[in-house]
Amino acid sequence: MKRLFTILSVVIVFSMLLAACGTTPATEPAGGPAVVEPAAEEPAVEEPTAEEPVVEEPATEKTVLNVWSFTNEILTMAVAFEKTHPDVDVVYTMIPMTNGEYQTKLLATLGTDQVPDVVALEAAFVKSYVESDFLADIGDLQVYADELKMYPFVYEVGMADGVHKAYAYQATPGALFYRRSLAKEYFGTDDPVEMQNLLGDFDKYIAAAEVVKEKSDGNTYMVASNGDFQNLFFANREQPWVVDGKLTVDPMVNKMVETVKTFRDNGYEARATQWQEGWFAGMNDTLQDAAGNPKKVFSYFLPTWGLPYVLYPNSTSADGASTTKGDWAVIEGPLPYQWGGTWLGVMEDTTKMDLAKEFVRFCTLDEENLTNWATGVYTNEYLKAIDPTVPDDQYQAAGDFVGSQVVVEKITASFDESEMSNFLGGQNSYGGFAAAAPSVNARLMQGSDDAIQRALNDPLNSYLEGTVTLEEMWTLWKDAVRNEFPDLIIE
Amino acid sequence: MFKKLKHDQYGYLFIAPFIIAFLIFSLYPVLNTIFLSFTDRTLMSRTFNITWFRNFQLLFADKTFLTAVKNTWQLWLMNFIPQMGIAFLLAIWFTNMRLNIKGVGVWRMIFYMPNLMMASAVAALFFSLFSFYGPVNQFLVRSGFISEAIDFIRKPAIMRGLVVFIQWWMWFGQTTILLMAAMTSVSISLYEAALVDGASTMQMFRHITLPLIKPVLIYILVTSLVGGMQMFDIPYLLTDGRGSPGNSILTNTINMYMKFHSSKGHIGAASAVGLVVFLMTSFVALLIFFLLREKQEQPDK
Amino acid sequence: MKLNNRTKIKIDRIFVYLFLVILVVITLIPLWLLIVNATRSTLEIQQGISLFPSKYLITNYKILLSKGLDLPRGFMNSLTIAILTTVLTVYFSMLTAYGIVGYNFKGKKVFYNTILVLVMIPMQLTIIGFYQWMTKLGLDDNYASLILPSIASAGSVFFAKQYLESVIIQDLIDAGRIDGATELGIFHRIILPIAVPGMFTMGIFAFVAAWNNFFNAFILITSRDKYTLPMLVQTLRGDVYRHEYGAIYLGLAASIIPIIIIYFLFSRYIINGISMGAVKE
Repeated sequence: MKRLFTILSVVIVFSMLLAACGTTPATEPAGGPAVVEPAAEEPAVEEPTAEEPVVEEPATEKTVLNVWSFTNEILTMAVAFEKTHPDVDVVYTMIPMTNGEYQTKLLATLGTDQVPDVVALEAAFVKSYVESDFLADIGDLQVYADELKMYPFVYEVGMADGVHKAYAYQATPGALFYRRSLAKEYFGTDDPVEMQNLLGDFDKYIAAAEVVKEKSDGNTYMVASNGDFQNLFFANREQPWVVDGKLTVDPMVNKMVETVKTFRDNGYEARATQWQEGWFAGMNDTLQDAAGNPKKVFSYFLPTWGLPYVLYPNSTSADGASTTKGDWAVIEGPLPYQWGGTWLGVMEDTTKMDLAKEFVRFCTLDEENLTNWATGVYTNEYLKAIDPTVPDDQYQAAGDFVGSQVVVEKITASFDESEMSNFLGGQNSYGGFAAAAPSVNARLMQGSDDAIQRALNDPLNSYLEGTVTLEEMWTLWKDAVRNEFPDLIIE
Repeated sequence: MFKKLKHDQYGYLFIAPFIIAFLIFSLYPVLNTIFLSFTDRTLMSRTFNITWFRNFQLLFADKTFLTAVKNTWQLWLMNFIPQMGIAFLLAIWFTNMRLNIKGVGVWRMIFYMPNLMMASAVAALFFSLFSFYGPVNQFLVRSGFISEAIDFIRKPAIMRGLVVFIQWWMWFGQTTILLMAAMTSVSISLYEAALVDGASTMQMFRHITLPLIKPVLIYILVTSLVGGMQMFDIPYLLTDGRGSPGNSILTNTINMYMKFHSSKGHIGAASAVGLVVFLMTSFVALLIFFLLREKQEQPDK
Repeated sequence: MKLNNRTKIKIDRIFVYLFLVILVVITLIPLWLLIVNATRSTLEIQQGISLFPSKYLITNYKILLSKGLDLPRGFMNSLTIAILTTVLTVYFSMLTAYGIVGYNFKGKKVFYNTILVLVMIPMQLTIIGFYQWMTKLGLDDNYASLILPSIASAGSVFFAKQYLESVIIQDLIDAGRIDGATELGIFHRIILPIAVPGMFTMGIFAFVAAWNNFFNAFILITSRDKYTLPMLVQTLRGDVYRHEYGAIYLGLAASIIPIIIIYFLFSRYIINGISMGAVKE
């Protein structure tokens, strides 16, 4: 009996080792059904082909398309997709990414047959997926991108080594929002054109910060958190973080550190942490220092989605007593940058390559969809008419800034009297973003950026606090990067 | 055939389900992890190489890893000692007939409740409490304790204190329950006999209670050690998931998680961390067993 | 002398009660804050913390419902998984532990030491390998992958063994054998009844762990209708830029209540060790 037991366990262990070896393919994907050649256009049997309108097959069963995302936004487009492709059933799975759950789950499925067909990728990790072996080449959709004049930075993010792997429906250029009343008080004007002159580059911005501090006796901060403008410097480097496998520090990064230190030492920033109480409080004038003295914040750096989702809702305090509605305006600001955004890609191991590509095309490169999306056509009623099981709060409000210049130009005027424009004291919000979008450059983005940049946060803050010197800060940062990237050459 | 089995061999039957379930469900992941630690596998690529001990070399040369190990030990000890202290105190009070505390069941339940809360909610709440514009600062400044708000989140000592406090808060109730379960299993007649012999409370505690609850004590010690070495949720969720400020709350598991969550998913390197932590924990645990072992008189071997 | 003693006890008791009350306050404040947040709006929560409840409970509840979350379903899922896991863990751990404690077979020490070592494997690491393995076996998105592994729960066996060692009495076992009972029969009819307090203790801990286990279920389950309650609550964080914090806190508070009830129902069995463990010598 014991012998049997021993033999049995040996057999089991051995077979497991074999199975383990099965996950080390050199070229093929593991365990999945038929490999699909992404480059060639396969005439798929049951699915509609990409270019032509839907071929009505007498389908008895709907084809299932698995889409994963980390928000419910794309569900709206998925429902709209089902309207024009009635024989497709989009199975939409939403997994939050608050604490990295979405990324973890996605990572776990790579190389297995549980992988979704279409996957949504947020700015922080889109590039790593684009650079990985697991996204399919969807470059044949680029022709649509060119037709719709997609902003270069949007599709550049989705490219690696000249291969297109992801597209986005949104463009998320960054902008600068400032308080009109305070601008009038300190600068004598609140006109966006003039303000853009005044704050057009970073040296001017710093000078303006001093003016704000002086004229308000230190009661108004130029910005709520130094986290706000770090993005700007990173986005304007000349070199990427990793060059030939070596960690490179671009001069812009040094400039960022200097600027942040200046702001802290001179009291130009409120020392709030983004996404925490202080940061929000500054948006509706309820900011007080610990002793209870009221303080104000002059400007916020936020991207397109920052307006409807962050600034607008928090411009009124929770008890309704204090509001800054109508007192804001938007300009490009000292430097162009981008923040956030959602891209869509197709997993290479999918069995429904053409359908998946068609879905991505519909969401990101279809003029009608983009127009409907941005102008609020997708109301809850509209969606429910297609699929009654849609939740009650599923809809897309007007105002999301889309990635196609063609569409943007077409619809900008329609925002003249919108809610958001009223919020901006009559300034057309869409127009403001349209001005900022073309100059954004995402060519230097790399998959490791997010981790490298985040590794700087903590040492930087220690430096600002005065707990470490500048030298020590760099050392701490390099140690942190070394920890996460064992293969990187770091001096 | 079974009737002829000696009694002792029935032991095999009893442990069989465990072994089978383990082989089916747990063996593969464990072996896989060990295997991966010798490779440079990343989740984002389809191919990889076997690099033997390179991961381990890099690990031991890495300051961050050593910091993480040191932190994890410190955070665990700072949490465990008060936890045992309070739990013992409570267990003794609650089982003491002289004191006859009322409502033991209710007290016990209240103290256990923190264990029921999800770590993410607790961490978010505490983070809110101690933020620069949060209520703790407001209270301290307005009552005059300090003149200016403190950026608690950036102070290593405070963040560590918070992690230790939260861990203590979440687990002391459970430890109390375990201790009480163990203490109440000790037969009263032993105490009665000792009283007759004139033993004092202290003596009874040291010579009757402690030895008889030793098995449970060992259990608590070892599981707390293992849990401590793997401490993840609270330090991860409290600040930015990287052990800030200044790596002060960076633990082994956070370190490991960072490795496989970074852009390429370095699961090989992460597995190496896991393996080292595992070996370290086993070593210490076995040490504990050895030092605290019973001198058995049962015929063994 | 007698009076002094009684006063001394009284003072001790006052001191103890005082300590207990302080401890309770420390213990409950975070919980209270959680419940209070369930009654506040997202804006209020984002803009600060408060000790006093607000008036958004109904609003949050409506938001919770409007998200199309099948909360009763999630609740039943969590309950099913938790109960099955608990039963399997408790029963099989006791079985295995008894095998170790009550018998002397070859390789027993090796086996037991292996179990101890198993307890120390870091979970976060093996989860991805586990998931991929379950996928290979075709068990992904299947509760079996969550429940069946609990048959081999090293930590519980460890506890059960330590516990049984302190409560088992060889005489009873021998008596059982003399009476002609089968080994399994002895286990069911003699050992288990003695171990009831320990079993309930293990049971409660196992139940709570299974109920709150978000991470495992999250990696292994994909179908929405199989989501557990904590998973459903997490989906409230869906809109990256637009968390409904009020509803989230309400969901969190709601997921704690069932466990409190379960705990209440079963806690009384833990403490009855006094009568159970004693054998009149």
